[in-house]
Amino acid sequence: MVIEGKGMNYMKIGIPRSLLYYYYYPFWQSLFPKLGCQIVLSDTTNTDILDIGVKDTISEICVPIKVYVGHVLNLLEKGVDYIYIPRLVSIRKGVTLCPKFLGLPDLIKNSLPGISDKVLTHKINSNTDDISDYKNYSDFTKIFDISKSELKAALRTAGKDWLKFRDLQKKGYKTEMLLEGKKEMREDGDLNIGLLGYVYNMYEKFINMDLISRLEEMGARVSTFDMFEEEMISDFVSRLRKPMFWEFTNKLMAVGYHFINSPAIDGIIHVTAFGCGPDSILGPFLEIDAEQNKKPFMTLRIDEQTGESHLLTRIEAFIDLLRIHKRREAL
Amino acid sequence: MKITFPFMGPTLIYAKLLELLGHEIVMPNKPTKKTIDLGVKYSPEFACFPFKVLMGTYLEMMDKGIDTIVTSGGHGPCRAGYYGELHKKILSSLGYDLDFIVFDEPKRDYKRFFQQIYRLKNDSSWYRVARIVYTVYKMSKSIDKIEKIVSSRRAYISNKSLLNRTWRDILKDYSRIKTVKEVNEVEKNALKKINRFKYQLPEEEERIRIGVVGEIYVVMEPSVNNNIEEIINSFGAEVERSQYLSQYIDETLLPFKGNEVKEIFKKAEDYIEIIIGGHAKQSMGHIVDYKDRGFDGVVHLKPFGCLPELISQSILDKISTDLDMPILSLSIDEQTAQANVMTRIEAFIDFIKYQKASKKERMVVNE
Repeated sequence: MVIEGKGMNYMKIGIPRSLLYYYYYPFWQSLFPKLGCQIVLSDTTNTDILDIGVKDTISEICVPIKVYVGHVLNLLEKGVDYIYIPRLVSIRKGVTLCPKFLGLPDLIKNSLPGISDKVLTHKINSNTDDISDYKNYSDFTKIFDISKSELKAALRTAGKDWLKFRDLQKKGYKTEMLLEGKKEMREDGDLNIGLLGYVYNMYEKFINMDLISRLEEMGARVSTFDMFEEEMISDFVSRLRKPMFWEFTNKLMAVGYHFINSPAIDGIIHVTAFGCGPDSILGPFLEIDAEQNKKPFMTLRIDEQTGESHLLTRIEAFIDLLRIHKRREAL
Repeated sequence: MKITFPFMGPTLIYAKLLELLGHEIVMPNKPTKKTIDLGVKYSPEFACFPFKVLMGTYLEMMDKGIDTIVTSGGHGPCRAGYYGELHKKILSSLGYDLDFIVFDEPKRDYKRFFQQIYRLKNDSSWYRVARIVYTVYKMSKSIDKIEKIVSSRRAYISNKSLLNRTWRDILKDYSRIKTVKEVNEVEKNALKKINRFKYQLPEEEERIRIGVVGEIYVVMEPSVNNNIEEIINSFGAEVERSQYLSQYIDETLLPFKGNEVKEIFKKAEDYIEIIIGGHAKQSMGHIVDYKDRGFDGVVHLKPFGCLPELISQSILDKISTDLDMPILSLSIDEQTAQANVMTRIEAFIDFIKYQKASKKERMVVNE
């Protein structure tokens, strides 16, 4: 997919359709054309992308990183001028992201040959989820040859556009549709499922076998963490004596406990990637407390070998169980 | 208060500190296969290996009436900083309610930090506490000094098992120390004992020096890394690791001693720009540093699934090519077998020997 910039001979910026694409793409989508760039997205994840990603990473690293590397290589084939790989350090004061995000540009530059001069990277250190603060982008004036005020204006608009996207998410529009520029409300259903997972696990259809649609087909109404207000999450985090070190894990923890304590939620599914470190710490907290509160809880682990029938069987069984549960309670 | 603590490196340092403060301590067992199995059973599958070992260590001691565990904390992004919280959660879900004294960075919460110090301080006066801390610090410096000598000479000493036994005896001597004066005496004695071993240092260019870098727990704890230093020594190579306890104390508690660390960080700059947690950046820096100091190879150790070290492992190929330095990366977990480690180290050192020999040959031909 190619999105037109101001003219023909503009710099082509590749954005991997992976990791935080599912959270920040609307921001980048608004920003880069204003800097005179054409955005080139990598293809949606497919077998080829996964295979090259798996081949060029160490076996032990988590699937999302493998997929990301696949997307970066896909962009390289497409002949872009730059591939945008920001170093997202922090989006809350005193809390960082997973170390793999912190070292992502290093990993890409130093493990893939012939790429280091194509990587466009800069550090993002923000106190809030809104990453439009100018101080993180000061290098951009030189790279894109624009004035400070132009850049500031572009960032402001991009920030606003991103907030609009977030508002729509909170109103219950499907994220996967919003990213493609379409508006569609989440399906309604007789069961309320709290789906916990990072954006790149929940919305990565190819790896998770289209989990959300499956759940919706089975008559479930799916709630995700990005449908909640930032204040709710901040409030929860400020009450923790020791918050988790990784912001998205904090978000999942806050929303996870909200699900556990909410009578409206019938069951919780935690979707996590093989080898995910932060989730290995988060998991037991939620598991233990869900059990104590008698809230059905299932952990779904996905990786490059996830089989469709295996996943389906497990979701079906879980949904059936919730229905039986609900019927019994109604009696 | 009956206290225990994690088993890592020279455990007797922490034991000494708590003992001198007048606490009743229970020494943790050295991790065995049984410890690890127990830990694996009650830990999340993808928790990093040190977490599982500590889980097992704690569980093994649950019948000894322990009510408090003292451990270190941190604020990420490495998972180790959250171990205390999660261990507590899992232990309490198993029905063991224990107190955890977790030392986080003081600057995040001074009040709590001093409350914890206060609890550990017992009835000792501050003057006494200062003296005890100084003694223990000196002790850790001294132990590390002797250990460095042992692990470089062991390569050339024929009776290695006697040397290892002597080294363990020396550690026992250290555990009896009560004052700073005794540290010097024990050290002098230890040197005397070690100097009794005859050894022939080969010519400068014949010496093989291997650096061990990686995640601190698997680098420092021999029972977890299959005694990697002894294995390397047994194939005739000297070894130095990137982490020693006294050095860790210098880095984390004594800001004015930070020059060496700064130097290491600077050397890592080309490979990892910012601190991404754990010791990943230091690992990179140490590899460059070993090259600068003329080492012949590096062994990189990390626990399976370690977040920061996975980034550094991804970069190893590049750094190895750039520096023309062989690097062997080993992932340590509950399935690591001694024979596997030995085979790989042997092959690695053979390779280095071969490379050295062919380099020398080439030089002779050129002359």
